[in-house]
Amino acid sequence: MTKIQINGREVEADPKQPLIRACHDHGGDVPMYCYHPGLTPVGSCRICQVEVAAAPGQPSRVVAACRTPVSEGMVVSTDTPKAHDTRRECLEFLLKNHPLDCPICDKAGECDLQDYSFNEGQGKGRSSEPRRKLEKRKSLGDVIVLDEERCILCSRCVRFFSDVTKKPQLTVEGLGSRSVINTFMDKPLEGNYQGNLADICPVGALTSKKFRFQARVWNLSKTLSTCGECSRGCSISVEALRAKEVKRLRPRYNAAVNQWWMCDTGRHAMAPITRPLAPEGAVLGGRLRGAAVRGYNGLELADESAATALAADMLAAHPGALLVVSPFATQEEATTALELARALKATPHFVSPAANNLKDDLLHTGDPCPNRRGLTELGFAPIEPAAALAALAKAPAAVLAGERVLEILGHEGLAKLPTKLRLVAYDVETSDIPALDVVFPVPTHVEKSGHWVNVDGHRGVLNVAVPPPAGVRRLDANLAQLARKLAATPVGS
Amino acid sequence: MKDFPKYLLSRVGLPESHTLRTYRAQGGYAAIEDVLKKPWTPEQVIGVMKDSGLRGRGGAGFPTGMKWSFMPDITKDPRPRYLAVNADESEPGTCKDRVLMEKDPHGLIEGCLIACFAMRAKAAYIYVRGEYRLSYNRLQAAIDEARAAGLIGKNILGTDFSCDIWMHKGAGAYICGEETGLMESLEGKRGHPRPKPPFPAGSGLWKSPTTVNNVESIFNAPFIVKNGAEWFKSMGVPKSTGNFLLGISGHVNKPGVYELPFGLTARQIIDEVAGGVWKGRKLKAFFPGGSSTGLLPASMADVVMDHDSVKAAGSMFGTAAMIILDETASIPQVMDVTARFYDHESCGQCSQCREGTQWLHQIFRRIAHGKGSMADLDLLVSLSNGMAPAKTICALADAAAIPTLAAVKHFRHEFEECIRLGRDPLRQDTQHAPELHEAHA
Ligand SMILES: Cc1cc2nc3c(=O)[nH]c(=O)nc-3n(C[C@H](O)[C@H](O)[C@H](O)COP(=O)(O)O)c2cc1C
Ligand code: SF4
Ligand code: SF4
Ligand code: FES
Repeated sequence: MTKIQINGREVEADPKQPLIRACHDHGGDVPMYCYHPGLTPVGSCRICQVEVAAAPGQPSRVVAACRTPVSEGMVVSTDTPKAHDTRRECLEFLLKNHPLDCPICDKAGECDLQDYSFNEGQGKGRSSEPRRKLEKRKSLGDVIVLDEERCILCSRCVRFFSDVTKKPQLTVEGLGSRSVINTFMDKPLEGNYQGNLADICPVGALTSKKFRFQARVWNLSKTLSTCGECSRGCSISVEALRAKEVKRLRPRYNAAVNQWWMCDTGRHAMAPITRPLAPEGAVLGGRLRGAAVRGYNGLELADESAATALAADMLAAHPGALLVVSPFATQEEATTALELARALKATPHFVSPAANNLKDDLLHTGDPCPNRRGLTELGFAPIEPAAALAALAKAPAAVLAGERVLEILGHEGLAKLPTKLRLVAYDVETSDIPALDVVFPVPTHVEKSGHWVNVDGHRGVLNVAVPPPAGVRRLDANLAQLARKLAATPVGS
Repeated sequence: MKDFPKYLLSRVGLPESHTLRTYRAQGGYAAIEDVLKKPWTPEQVIGVMKDSGLRGRGGAGFPTGMKWSFMPDITKDPRPRYLAVNADESEPGTCKDRVLMEKDPHGLIEGCLIACFAMRAKAAYIYVRGEYRLSYNRLQAAIDEARAAGLIGKNILGTDFSCDIWMHKGAGAYICGEETGLMESLEGKRGHPRPKPPFPAGSGLWKSPTTVNNVESIFNAPFIVKNGAEWFKSMGVPKSTGNFLLGISGHVNKPGVYELPFGLTARQIIDEVAGGVWKGRKLKAFFPGGSSTGLLPASMADVVMDHDSVKAAGSMFGTAAMIILDETASIPQVMDVTARFYDHESCGQCSQCREGTQWLHQIFRRIAHGKGSMADLDLLVSLSNGMAPAKTICALADAAAIPTLAAVKHFRHEFEECIRLGRDPLRQDTQHAPELHEAHA
């Protein structure tokens, strides 16, 4: 560690990191555009200027903090008039051609240009020249759209591809004030990591086609969570409009798991968490609104305690039940499922679909089971959907539990199960499965707390980002209740 | 004017001056032969270069021998090392390196060999301005001749010194003359200058130790090695030694490239070397060293043309490319054209430079077309102070700001006149370039 002074305080700085990191770590408020901790620093935007002297009493000068190495004894001031002036000048240049269309810009509210201008800028512009007229909505592929006028040419997006995915796709085209960002040969962007561009672009130049005009960001609540699309379990922030409607999933820095990034599969996995409810009074055609039992006219909504009692009776009367949980089951849910397994004298399984072809050498593992490692550590055995269906066809009874367990087993296969099977399920939604006797609704992973264990053993946290629909109880509570009931009416009695 | 010894252009008038035969007949390649066969140590070569006081001819006037000594100790740092010769010559007004490359390419090659020997460089890369076709062809032919004669390649002149020389053609960007932009371009990338540190001597071409020198700086080396530091110091003034190539253009009777010792005044050069201001007119102003150096008014023409004196006068010696403006020249128009150049050539990385060069150009353009306001003049000064000094990655932003500050300082009255009248009273019907940004309209 290198000892330096920042704003009058002696601090320790990491000699491998540029000065701007030390400033940020020790409370110095230094703006940045081209610098991003996950990308090679280029020192081009010049906004991060701070005043530096080699030692106390030495003459000081203004330098770009993101390209300045720390050196023993260096005296740094982030807050002097000279530093502020230099940054203000720089901002004025950056705003010279900026369209200032904040009222219609998705980035407004989380835009570094807006924020720093507010902090440091002068209220009034001095340019009367016409602003640059450029392409306002240039499609860069399926994920991202570029507004050339808003671009401040920080080149973060260019470096994202050269540094992170290692497959360069973007470049600066043209010279000087005629520079624009473009893909090579105008080809659309490719790959599973394009969405990150909208996050790292410090302004509203690169925006997400899916999120465009969906919400003003200041109306979004942000909840720490974990992505469920593969066993990497990237740390994410679930962002919901007025804490009700999930609008956007974004990566959240986690040094051990995903750094600053996430893949587009995870980012765009909105369907499973924004499913509409089934029509009022109905069981099918959307998310379950409450427990349902099989009546004369198929599945019918029912009182939950009655449904639990029925399930317990059925399972008690038909020993040898199978227990299969979803790969989305949290450690907390799986722990109560183990209680149930003991009551049922069943071997606990989790359904483990085959690896998909999304595996890459950055984040995606290709394994669609976010909690494989946690479930395995708890003693659950993986079972493939086909094998599970075959076992179900022969079983007297079964409990299938957890978010999307039916979907992963396959509705088509489930529909063919013999009706003599006594089947109890816990899921977000069901289809018309003739063998299904009792079904309970569950929350999605953005509607509950808990955690998963990722491929490398890191705990990924889940929090309640949006409330579950009325009448939907936690799965662990439901399973615990069933286990208690079964314990009271021993299986086989 | 007193007679003085000449060496830089001593061969250019000879028939077939670009061939090995002529060069050899004039004692060419004797310096490298002496260095290799005597033999000299690399440190001795650097020593004589340092003692000579030669200052770089690429614009900044940095002592060449000192620059060479910055290369890391080979016993501690075994990376390959390179010399890059800056032949991008694109500063408006500058046209001196071209004469050397076209007329005396072997002189540059011998210089490269000496420099590579001194810095233990594996190879020299000569980065030639793309438009300089004849320079490129002549140099390439000379390299081929020298290679065939055993002067380039493995075991040069039968010694264990090996060195290669390669050429690279630029594609018309001024910024590729900036030393780190040049290196990026040589590596096949966009010519975006690199922030320093690291300096080229620590991490240059392909992250290896590299020295970048101007053509004329390198061209001086064989003469210094052959004739010694004392000989070199006997020319010029104490802190600007040797002769330099003057490129003089604009409103003079005899524009051209001349070899001169340091120490003459600007007025002497204009009147005695370049035949005086043309058409019997009076001098109004001059750029002493290319368009990036601050414009000086006629009243300052008695400045001595050496690095330190021109600096003391508030400008820069630069590349000794004097641009002469007579009394009919309109300074607002001159600045419109100058600012347009920097707007066009900024690489666009740094916010201040990308936006500032465009902004300065827009303002100058308005003023020159009678659409300026008095507030514009203070804005020009304020913007220039936001762009320089040393606020950006490279000095192009400074190169745009410096002449702006000088023009407003010395010729404020002329700008004010244009603004007051709503037109430029000195406007001449010059052909005007199309609107720069219309491509985006
Ligand atoms: C924008 C810009 C353009 C430059 N163009 C040239 C050039 O065309 N030729 C040149 O020799 N030096 C040029 N330079 C200076 C080089 O960066 C470098 O200082 C020089 O080549 C060093 O050579 P010297 O030490 O032999 O003078 C330029 C500098 C800047 C900032
Ligand atoms: S598009 Fe965004 S990230 Fe890319 S250079 Fe422009 S401002 Fe930077
Ligand atoms: S100062 Fe201008 S030319 Fe130099 S690196 Fe910055 S933007 Fe490019
Ligand atoms: S953040 Fe340091 S120069 Fe851009």
